[in-house]
Amino acid sequence: MAQGRVLVIGGGLAGLAATMRMAELGVAVDLVSLVPVKRSHSVCAQGGINSVNALTRQQGDNEWKHFDDTIYGGDFLQHQPPVKEMADWGPRIIDLMDRLGVPFNRTPEGFRDQRRFGGTLYKRTAFAGATTGQQLLYALDEQVRRYEAEGRVKKWEFWDFLEPVLDDAGRCRGAICQDLVTMKFHAFPADAVILATGGCGLVYGRSTMSMVCTGSAVSRAYQAGAAYGNGEFIQVHPTAIPGADKLRLMSESARGEGGRVWVPRKSQDARDPREIPEAERFYFLEERYPKYGNLVPRDIATREIFDICTTEGLSVEKDRLCVYLDLTHLSREMLDRKLGGILEIYEKFQGVDPRSVPMKIFPAVHYSMGGLWVDYERSANGGMEEGAVRNQQTSIPGLYAIGECDYQYHGANRLGANSLLSCIFSGLFVAPSIVSATGSKPASAESRLFEAALRRQEQRHESLLSKRGGDENPYALHQDLGSLMTRVATVVRRNEQLVAAYGEVCDLEARWRRCSLSDSGNWTNQNVVFTKSLGDMFPIAKLILKGALLRDECRGAHFKPAFSMPGIAATDPVEQRREAEQWCDRFEENTRKWLKSTVARHGADGHPQISYEDIDTSLIPPRPRLYGLVGGDVIEEVWKERGQRQATGVAAKAAVAVGAGV
Amino acid sequence: MIQAVSPSDAEHDSEPHAAAKTVHVRVLRQDAPGQESYWERHAVPYEPNMNVISVLQKIAERSRAEDGRQVAPVAWDCSCLEEVCGSCTMLVNGRTRMACSALVDRLLEESPGEIELRPMSKFPVVRDLKVDRSRLFHALERVKAWVPVDGSYDHGAGPRISPEEQEDAYPLSTCMSCGCCLEACPQYTKIEAVRRDDESEADFEQRRTAAFDRGFIGAHAISQAVLFNGHPTGRMIADERLASLTAAGGIQQCGNAQNCVAVCPKHIPLTRSIARAGRAATVWAIKKLFDR
Amino acid sequence: MNVSDSDQSFFTRHQFLIYRLFSLSGLIPVGAFLVVHLVTNASVLAGPGSFQARVDLIHSLGPLLVPIEWAFIFLPMLFHAAVGFVIIAGGLPNVGSYPYVGNVRYTLQRATGMIAFAFIIWHVIQLHWMGAPLGGGKFDPHHASSSTAVALQPIGVTALYAIGVLSAVFHLANGLWTLGITWGLWTSPAAMRRASWVSVAVGILLGGAGLGALAGMRRVDVEQARVIENRMDEVKRMLEGREPVGGPAVRVPEAAPAVPVSAPNSSEGS
Ligand SMILES: Cc1cc2nc3c(=O)[nH]c(=O)nc-3n(C[C@H](O)[C@H](O)[C@H](O)COP(=O)(O)OP(=O)(O)OC[C@H]3O[C@@H](n4cnc5c(N)ncnc54)[C@H](O)[C@@H]3O)c2cc1C
Ligand code: HEM
Ligand code: SF4
Ligand code: SF4
Ligand code: FES
Repeated sequence: MAQGRVLVIGGGLAGLAATMRMAELGVAVDLVSLVPVKRSHSVCAQGGINSVNALTRQQGDNEWKHFDDTIYGGDFLQHQPPVKEMADWGPRIIDLMDRLGVPFNRTPEGFRDQRRFGGTLYKRTAFAGATTGQQLLYALDEQVRRYEAEGRVKKWEFWDFLEPVLDDAGRCRGAICQDLVTMKFHAFPADAVILATGGCGLVYGRSTMSMVCTGSAVSRAYQAGAAYGNGEFIQVHPTAIPGADKLRLMSESARGEGGRVWVPRKSQDARDPREIPEAERFYFLEERYPKYGNLVPRDIATREIFDICTTEGLSVEKDRLCVYLDLTHLSREMLDRKLGGILEIYEKFQGVDPRSVPMKIFPAVHYSMGGLWVDYERSANGGMEEGAVRNQQTSIPGLYAIGECDYQYHGANRLGANSLLSCIFSGLFVAPSIVSATGSKPASAESRLFEAALRRQEQRHESLLSKRGGDENPYALHQDLGSLMTRVATVVRRNEQLVAAYGEVCDLEARWRRCSLSDSGNWTNQNVVFTKSLGDMFPIAKLILKGALLRDECRGAHFKPAFSMPGIAATDPVEQRREAEQWCDRFEENTRKWLKSTVARHGADGHPQISYEDIDTSLIPPRPRLYGLVGGDVIEEVWKERGQRQATGVAAKAAVAVGAGV
Repeated sequence: MIQAVSPSDAEHDSEPHAAAKTVHVRVLRQDAPGQESYWERHAVPYEPNMNVISVLQKIAERSRAEDGRQVAPVAWDCSCLEEVCGSCTMLVNGRTRMACSALVDRLLEESPGEIELRPMSKFPVVRDLKVDRSRLFHALERVKAWVPVDGSYDHGAGPRISPEEQEDAYPLSTCMSCGCCLEACPQYTKIEAVRRDDESEADFEQRRTAAFDRGFIGAHAISQAVLFNGHPTGRMIADERLASLTAAGGIQQCGNAQNCVAVCPKHIPLTRSIARAGRAATVWAIKKLFDR
Repeated sequence: MNVSDSDQSFFTRHQFLIYRLFSLSGLIPVGAFLVVHLVTNASVLAGPGSFQARVDLIHSLGPLLVPIEWAFIFLPMLFHAAVGFVIIAGGLPNVGSYPYVGNVRYTLQRATGMIAFAFIIWHVIQLHWMGAPLGGGKFDPHHASSSTAVALQPIGVTALYAIGVLSAVFHLANGLWTLGITWGLWTSPAAMRRASWVSVAVGILLGGAGLGALAGMRRVDVEQARVIENRMDEVKRMLEGREPVGGPAVRVPEAAPAVPVSAPNSSEGS
C-alpha cells in the first residue's frame, strides 16, 4: 500500500474520482470543497457522457474515431496523447460508473442505452434520464463516503482554498485553506495538492454555471506561479434562459423539434408576441441560412443571436438581451411527449408556459476550455504513460490540476458530453501519478513555510475586513465585470473592444481595492469570501482578454470577424479552384502561426505574460473545419490533394534516402 | 452604484404600480449558534421572474434594512440555482422549499404583501438562513448508501438491468439531499450539539455522532437504503442496511404523516420507499428471529 | 432533543422490536378487542336479551375472565398507550404549516389516541367492577343493558361516549392503514389509496356499530330490560344450580327519567 497524504481541492466529478482512486491505492486524502461535495457544479450536467461502446463499434466506430472527433471538434488545439488516452479509457470509465450504480437508461434487453450528440455520427452518449452529471457525481460521492466511513478520506466541506504553499525550490508542499463557518485558517501540509475546482463562469457574471464556479482557486494557483493555458477559449451555448440570478440551459432539442427563433422587426416592440403579425416578425436564422434554418451549427446560432441583439439592436427587451424561441405553433401533445422535461424547467423558473407563450432566450457562457496548464508524459503508443509523475502536473511541481480547471482535453471547443468523460478520466488517471510522486518526495516541509503563508492570508483577510470608508460595493463591481466580459469576450471579439476592456478591467480591479465590506465579523462572513474571490477574478479576466487580443485568428470558440476566412465567392470552377488554393495556403500559414497553446503567466506587475507552446499533433495532422462554409467541398478537395501530394513527396524523399543508403 | 431607496422616496411614488415595484421581505436572522434570532425587514426593487435567490442577492448588494440601517448581508447557501444541488432549502412563507425555484410572483400570489424567509427549523442554524445539515449526510453513511464494489479496476460492465428496474431506481437516485423531507417530517426533531468548554474537538465529534446515530434517520436515507437494496450489487450488503434501518432511530420512528413525499421538490416516491423498507424490515426481523 | 452522552437505554436498544410490538398490539389484541366490544355492544340494538346473551357468554369464562382481561386487554392496551405516549412526546405535529391530508391524519391519530386513553380510563372506572371503590363500577353483568343504560342516561355522558368511541374507531381505522405501511402490506401509492378506502369503510362500519350501541342503550326501557335480565338470570342460576341472590345490583337514580325512546321490540323476550 502506498502512503502519504494528499490534498484534493474540489469534489466535483474530477476531484471525487481522484479521491476514490487514491483512497483505494492507500493514500490518505484530505478533500476540501466550498460546498458539500455532493452539491458541486457537476450535478448540473444533463446531457450525457461519451464513449465508444459495443453498439457503435459494430457500426464502424472505435476509440480512434472518438479521439479524432474530439481533436477535430477542438480545432486541433490540444496535445494529442492525453486526448487519445482519454478516448481509449472511455469504455472502461462507463463500465466503472455502471458498476458503481449509475442508473443509465436501458434498452429493453437491459443494456445501456445511448444517444447521439453533436460533433459525431455515432450514438456514443450514455445518459441517465436528464440528470447524467448528477447521477455520475452521486456514484462517486457514495464511494468516497464509503472510504470516509473507513477513515481513509477526510472531508473539509465549506472550506476555501487560498494558496498553495511552495518551498524555496518552488515545489508545492501543501496549502492554506479557510473554514467558511468559523473563518479560521488552517495549513494543510501534503505530499501533493490536486486542484479539481471546475470552471470560472462567474468571471462573466451570470452563466450556466453554479455560484461556486468563481475560478478563484485556479486564480490563486496562477498568482502563485502556475501557468494558465488557452484562457481565451470560452464556450458559449446558443440558447439559455436569461434570469436575474443565473442563465439556465435550454436544450438544443427545442429547435430540433421545430422551434423557431425570431425577433420583432421593430426594435423593442412592446406588443404581446402572440399579437405580432407574421410580416412583422424577423425569422433571422431562417432568412439568412435557408438551408439549415433554425438548426444552423451551434457557434453560428450563437453568433447570429448575439449580433441581432447587440449590433442590430433588435433585442426583444431593452435592458435584457433576448430573442424569441417559439414553440407555440407546435401541438401541445407533441411538445409534452418530446420536450416535457425541458419545458418544465422553463415553466418552473420563468413561471410562463412555453407551449402558449414564446420563450425568451439568449446565448450564455457555458464552459471554459482553458485552465491551468498541465503536463503529460507521452507513452510509446502515442498515449499518456500511466503513473508518470508529470501527468496532470501544473508548472509548479507537486501541484496538479484535473477536470474543467485544466486546459488539456478540449482545445478550442468542447464537444457535448465530452467534459464529464475528461473529468472522470483525469481524476482516475492522476491517482497513480500521485502515488509515484509521493513515493519520491523529499524530506518533510519546514513549518516556517506554512507559518509565513498563514500570516500572509490572515493579513489579507484582516485588511479586507478592516477597510473602512471605501465607496465600492463588491456585488456591483462583479456585475460590472460580468457585463463587460460578456460584451467583449464571448461570441464575437474585436481588438479595439478588447483593448478598451482590458483597461476597464484594470480600473475595476483598482476600484475593488477600495471595496468596503458591509460585514466585518468573523463568523460565516460570506461578504468577505465573495469579495476575496472577486478580487481573484480580475487576473483571470485579464488573461482571457489578453489571450483573446493577441490571438489574431478564428479558432473554435474564439471568433474574430476581422480575421475570419470567408468561403469561396466565385462560381466559375477555375476561379473556385484558385480561391480554394489560396484558402488552403492561408490556412496552412495560419496553422503555422497560430496552432499553439496560449500560456499565460502571472507577471510581477499583475499583468499576464503570454507565450505560446507548440502542440503535439503527431497523431492526427491538422485539417480545416469546413462545416457550413460556402465552397467547403472545393476546399476539401484541394486540401485532400495537397495531403496526397505531401504523402507521396514524403514517400519519394524516403525512397531517395533509402536509395542513397544503398 | 447602490441606490439606497429611502422610505420617503417610496412614499412619493404614488403610481398604482408603485407597490408592485418593491418586494418586501421579512427575514429571521441569527448571528451565530446559540444567539437570539430576530426579524429584519428588507425591501428590494421588483424584477420580472425574480426568485428568492435573486432577492437575497439584492439584499446582499444593498446591505441595508428597509429602515435604511446598514446591516450585514443575510447569509444563505446556494449553488446550482437550478434545483439540482440541494443547497438552498429554507422556509419560504412558512413552508420548506428550494429558494432558487421559489418565484416571487407566485409567493406574492400565495401571501400578498410580504415574503417571509426563515432558516430550516430541524437543523442547527449556523447563521441567518444557513444551517448545518451534517446529520443528513451522516444518515447516508448509516445506511451504507453505496454499491460495495471491489474497486475501480476494470471488471467489465455492471449488471444487466431491465428498463423497468431502471425506471424504478432512477427517481430515488435523484435525491439531492436538500432535507425538505426532514424539515416537514413531524417525527424528525432537531439535534443541536454544543461543544463544551472542557471537550476536545474529537470528543465533541464523537458525542455528536452518537446523538445523530440515535436520532431518526429520515425519509431520504430510508429511500436510499431501498435504492441500494434494489441494485443487484448493492443488495449484497442488504442485511447491513436493514440492520441500521432497524436500529435505534430507524424506520420504526416514521409515523406515516407522509409530509415528506408532499414536500420533496424532486417528487421522489418516499412513502413507497418507506413501505418497501418496512416490508423488508418485517421479513428480515422474522428471519432473524428464527435464524438465531 | 437533548444531547447527552449517556448509554443507550433499554428502550433505545430495542426500539424496533418495541415499536413493532406496539403496532401489533394496536391490531391484536387491542384493535380486535375493540371490534368485538363494539359489535357486542351493538347487539343491544337487537334488544336487551340479545346483549345479555353475549355478555353471559363472555362471563361464562368465570374466574378465568380476570386474567384474560388483563393479559389480552388491559396490559396490551397499557403497553400500547405507554409507548404511544412516548411516540407522541417525540413528535412535533405541524399541520399548521403543512395541512396535507396525511399530516392531518397523523395529527388526528395522536389526538384520538389521547382522547381514547382518557375515555377508556373513565369508561373503565365508570362501568368496570374495578371502578367500584371510586364510586363507579356501575355495570352489572347480570343486568347488562339496564345497568349500562342507566349509566349512560345523562345526555352529556352519551355525548362524551360518542366522542370517545368515535376517537377510538378513527384511531383503529386509520391505524390499520398506517400499520399496513409500517409492516409493508401496501407499498405503492395506488395500493395505499386503495387501503385508505378500506380503512374508511372499516371506520364507517365500526363507527356505526359504536354509535348504534350508544343509541341502542339510550333506547333501552330499563324496567322492561330488567324483567328480561332477571328472567335470564334465573334460568342461568337454575342451570348452574345456584341460589338466587337478593335484589339487583343496579340502583336506579330517582331523578332519572326512564324514557324509552321507542316502544320495546316485541321480539325482545324470546
Ligand atoms: C448546465 C450545464 C450542463 C452541462 N452538461 C454537460 C453534459 O451533458 N455533458 C458533459 O460532458 N459536460 C457537461 N457540462 C460540463 C460539465 O458539467 C463540467 O465541465 C464538469 O462537471 C466539471 O466538473 P469538475 O469536477 O471539473 O468541477 P465541478 O463539478 O465544478 O467541481 C468543482 C469543485 O471545486 C470546489 N471549489 C471550487 N473553488 C474552490 C475553492 N476556492 N476552494 C475549495 N473548493 C473549491 C467546488 O466546491 C466543487 O466541489 C455541463 C455544464 C453545465 C454548466
Ligand atoms: C382504543 C384502543 C386502541 C386501539 C385499538 C389502537 C390501535 C392502534 C393501531 C392499530 C395503530 C397503528 C399501528 C401502526 O401504525 O403500526 C395505533 C397507532 C397508535 N396508537 Fe393506538 N390504539 C389504541 C389506543 C391508543 C392509546 C390509548 C394511545 C395513547 C395515547 C395510542 C397511541 C397511538 C399512537 C401514538 C399511534 C401512532 C403510532 C405511529 O404511527 O407511530 N393508541 N393504535
Ligand atoms: S412518512 Fe414518515 S418520514 Fe415521511 S414525513 Fe411522515 S413520519 Fe416523516
Ligand atoms: S428525498 Fe426529496 S426532500 Fe428529501 S432530501 Fe431527497 S430530494 Fe430532498
Ligand atoms: S441552489 Fe441548488 S437547489 Fe437551489
